Amino acid sequence: MKLVLVTSIVLGGLIFMPSVSAEDDLSEAHLNRIRTNCVAAKNSLNQLHANDALLRVNRGQMYEAISVKLMASMNSRIALNRLDGGEMVKITADYNRQLEEFRSSYQVYEQALSRLMRIDCAKKPAEFYSQVGSVRDLREEVNENVKLLHDGIKDYKAAFDKFSSEFKGEDK
Amino acid sequence: MTDETRRRLGLNRESFNAWKHDHRLALMIFGSIVMSLALVVVSMYLYSSSGAAQLDLSRPGYSSVRGRASSNDKIDTFPSSGTITKETIQEFEALYSRYADEATAIDAFGGDVLNNRELGIDGPQEP
Repeated sequence: MKLVLVTSIVLGGLIFMPSVSAEDDLSEAHLNRIRTNCVAAKNSLNQLHANDALLRVNRGQMYEAISVKLMASMNSRIALNRLDGGEMVKITADYNRQLEEFRSSYQVYEQALSRLMRIDCAKKPAEFYSQVGSVRDLREEVNENVKLLHDGIKDYKAAFDKFSSEFKGEDK
Repeated sequence: MTDETRRRLGLNRESFNAWKHDHRLALMIFGSIVMSLALVVVSMYLYSSSGAAQLDLSRPGYSSVRGRASSNDKIDTFPSSGTITKETIQEFEALYSRYADEATAIDAFGGDVLNNRELGIDGPQEP
């Protein structure tokens, strides 16, 4: 009986700990500041949400077009001409994997941002503050994925330059 | 439903069949509504889980940016067949460099727009 009671207290404590500590971490002055700036913060988030959606559509199209319309086409042409483009094929595969990561990380970020926008910051300032931190981390993750995609684009260019100089050398 | 239960409820197979026959239209309408609701739930699940919702700028709240979405058609396709010559290499080089520069020019999703200070929710001790 005692064991059940202790286990229930520990489990209950673990479940309720995050919200309690979030409330405890913030001073009353800080909570009041969040409540006061609630409307302005929500407006900024709405604007960010719309701008990020546009960025996702435009950037996503650009990244996908580079893979499908340029990288894959060139790799196919190299293969049809029985030339060695192995490194470029590998970079394209890595790039496509990274593109998939970008899509899923953005989806997770957007869903978290939508949840944040639904929180009533006037009534739940601590929860709002804590969720802003999580969304910020998720946005950084999307940015990391974008940087890796940019690295992939540059790597492909370097591999193509190498292929090009080898081809020109053979062609002489 | 067992015969015993039907007897307790005052129903028998004949009266149940007669009831179904009398309410055919209502049952069909009810069935259609249930089926369409189920299909809406499935399609909404697919819409949100597939990532299509994130790309749908026709949703409310995106009206301010809707007109600024670019078309995929503006990017030229490099032909995937044909011989490889110095000219085709130069052609690809120019095409790739143009789009690669355009794609990598913007540090998308960078910056500190979700900074507590930017949102006006920073605490007294925050830098």
